[in-house]
Amino acid sequence: MSIDISIKIGGEAGQGIQTVGQLVALVCRQAGMYVMAINDFESRIRGGHSFFQIRVSDRPVQAPDRRVHLLVAMDKNTVQAHAAELVAGGIILAEQQTSSIEGAEPIPFLELAKQAGGRITSNTVAAGASLALLGAPFKLVKQVLSEQFGQKGGDILEKNIKAAELGFEAVRKISFKWVFSWKETGPRGSLMEGCKAVALGALAGDCRVGAFYPMSPATGIMAHLASFATHYPVVVEQAEDEIAAVNMVIGASFAGARAMTATSGGGFSLMVEGLGLAAITETPIVIINAQRPGPATGLPTRTAQADLHFVMRASQDEFPRFVFAPGTPEEAYDITARAFNLSEKYQVPAIVLVDQYFNDSLFTVEHPLAAPQEIERFIVGDKDMKDPAAYQRFVLTPSGISPRALPCMGKALVVVSSDEHREDGHISETIDDRIHMVDKRQAKWPAMMSEMQPPHGYHENGDILLIGWGATKGAVREAVDQLREKGIEAGSLHFTDLWPFPDTAVVTALQKKNKIFMVEHNITAQLGQLIRQQTGISFTGAILKYDGRPFYPVEIFDGVQRKI
Amino acid sequence: MVSMQAYESDYENQWCPGCGNFGILSAMKDALVKLNLTPDEVLIISGIGQAAKTPHFLKCNTFHGLHGRALPVATGAKMANYRLRILVNSGDGDCYGEGGNHFMHAIRRNLDITLLVHNNKVYGLTKGQASPTADQGMVTKLQQHGVTNESFNPLAVALSLGAGFVARGFAGNTEHLSKLIQAGMSHRGFSLIDILQPCVSFNTLNTYEWYKRRVYDLNAAGSRTDDFIAAITASREWGSKIPIGIFYQKEKPTFTDQIPALRKRPLIAEAYDPERLQALLSEAG
Repeated sequence: MSIDISIKIGGEAGQGIQTVGQLVALVCRQAGMYVMAINDFESRIRGGHSFFQIRVSDRPVQAPDRRVHLLVAMDKNTVQAHAAELVAGGIILAEQQTSSIEGAEPIPFLELAKQAGGRITSNTVAAGASLALLGAPFKLVKQVLSEQFGQKGGDILEKNIKAAELGFEAVRKISFKWVFSWKETGPRGSLMEGCKAVALGALAGDCRVGAFYPMSPATGIMAHLASFATHYPVVVEQAEDEIAAVNMVIGASFAGARAMTATSGGGFSLMVEGLGLAAITETPIVIINAQRPGPATGLPTRTAQADLHFVMRASQDEFPRFVFAPGTPEEAYDITARAFNLSEKYQVPAIVLVDQYFNDSLFTVEHPLAAPQEIERFIVGDKDMKDPAAYQRFVLTPSGISPRALPCMGKALVVVSSDEHREDGHISETIDDRIHMVDKRQAKWPAMMSEMQPPHGYHENGDILLIGWGATKGAVREAVDQLREKGIEAGSLHFTDLWPFPDTAVVTALQKKNKIFMVEHNITAQLGQLIRQQTGISFTGAILKYDGRPFYPVEIFDGVQRKI
Repeated sequence: MVSMQAYESDYENQWCPGCGNFGILSAMKDALVKLNLTPDEVLIISGIGQAAKTPHFLKCNTFHGLHGRALPVATGAKMANYRLRILVNSGDGDCYGEGGNHFMHAIRRNLDITLLVHNNKVYGLTKGQASPTADQGMVTKLQQHGVTNESFNPLAVALSLGAGFVARGFAGNTEHLSKLIQAGMSHRGFSLIDILQPCVSFNTLNTYEWYKRRVYDLNAAGSRTDDFIAAITASREWGSKIPIGIFYQKEKPTFTDQIPALRKRPLIAEAYDPERLQALLSEAG
């Protein structure tokens, strides 16, 4: 029988439920299991209700499961909020002090933690208890704890090992229906938050400068980037606001360093004028928009996919730009790197859309990420010019791309202006210059479109086609599997490359007269509208979720069943 | 030696005849020549406004960006390449109004650049509204009952934020202004030179004559440049006498001095190294 177990750990913000969850996840990974976990929390520092939900399987899993097999309640609220999600035979481990709830196994997490050496180890007690129920060998738990706490010195490691032991002991008499036999197959890949994959992808795109203003759920990307800065030539600056952040990125790129910022919709709104500045000065920049529900403050710590149309069209007037939306950490790594390369090649802004679900979830990355062997820089110097003194930054070319020199790196003077300009970069209001420059910028579009990858098919010749984009990829594919198990000929198309829209590839893919169902985290099926706009092909229906929580595959499965 | 001729641009100047900007432009050229910098060694970054057009009217590397946003662009450029010699041309509306937040934080960072604020107390390009530095009571087409807001005091603000070089020049005294620019560009760290600039089109109050009767060189008058309290006091002097010169100077580590990744060389001199990234990827995974 295959293994597919979900463990939900709930508690107040500040109680350290992520610590419990990460420990469980790391031990399972160490035993060769596939792990994915979602992080659900409120916009507050203490109190409230949060949960961390881990899915452990012997097959790849890229989405959360709605069925909970083991519920670990660090507070009373958790039992009330989630007991209904428990499948028949599931177990609730609840803090003894706060729980007298029927059906829950009372465990004195806090009391045991004090015995082990301090309240702070109650998370390790809970992790130990959970792992014991799953049948984990204690030596594996000890090994992971040593990796986690070994460097911290003092008796921290000993206390945590003791805490885990007490957790194991506490559930000795409880049997768990889904206990499985643990094989020593060695670790399965690595566990990575989506936001970390984006940060690593930025380095693989030779990003050297990051400027940002803290905003959930984007901050994790910049925090990871900043953590690399001690041993890697990258500089991360916290700006005074998002307007400063995007202008810093433009300044850094103008001076020759590939640069990025990461924000969410509200911050992106403030960056829009800067986006236009990058466009008219043809300065490459990468902006990551980690989407959350809006408008305005919306739901700061929740997920959404409602900024697609916004980022495609943001700014006054028209200009070419790239928009991408990775669906997995591996895609985030590759696409973020591509965004830097393409942005520099075409001297246009590139926008990468992720979301809270993706950024804050843990995924199993099975194979090591590979550094590119070389980075092609699209920059010229005096040596590439016949007469550097005659250099013109915006010289007209058939491709629309003008050779890009850097300031103060030779005799060629680089002049750029946010005003409409002549080929030499100086302000111009003449009709000819205006038309030439608009045409020049737009001339890049066909070549940019040829860079776009078609949507990824999965049983795409099925009668029913689910279409999604970005981080819902795992959930959509799992829903396809569930539908096919029911004998429904379903498949999916998943978009990562959104703008320029890969028209031809999409028309080809959609020529079969399947029923098309859009799956999106917004209320108007934005990708569905875009497909109709670009190809004339309409969707049959849509499964749309805009409550700020990520799709469970079964919700998509149910949605499709209701509609057919 | 670099000649003034090297900086001559054949791009048509768009300022009003008699504008204070001409004095500032000639002081800039004079200072750059005296510092023996060639145009290809200089990057001028500006925002939007009449002052921000300055780099178009001399030969240099230029980034003419958005209204109020010159300083963040300069910050980014320094992160990429701290060797850049950067001058920022801004106006009172551009720098103290639209870009006020960036002004504060560029000072806090101690960005190693020289900021020239062409301060004419009005918005010129939009035809004469009061700017943040307009004197109380100034009547304009939009402020028909006179400006009621307190006048923004850039020197006092810069001093209170810990700026290491705070000076005021006068567009009508280019020789003095050139010296200030040379001193500012020679200072390691953030240097602010607020420049009193008559606007012949829209400011009928603060004219050349008005300033000439009032300005005096506080350094010639014996003021020290290392006395913070004296500098604060001088920054508040405005009326029958208006001080110009270097109010305060003190060097301290610059923004890029303090960034570990820049200890050895600028980022742009650091080639991509796949082995280095692979090592980081293995560790991060």
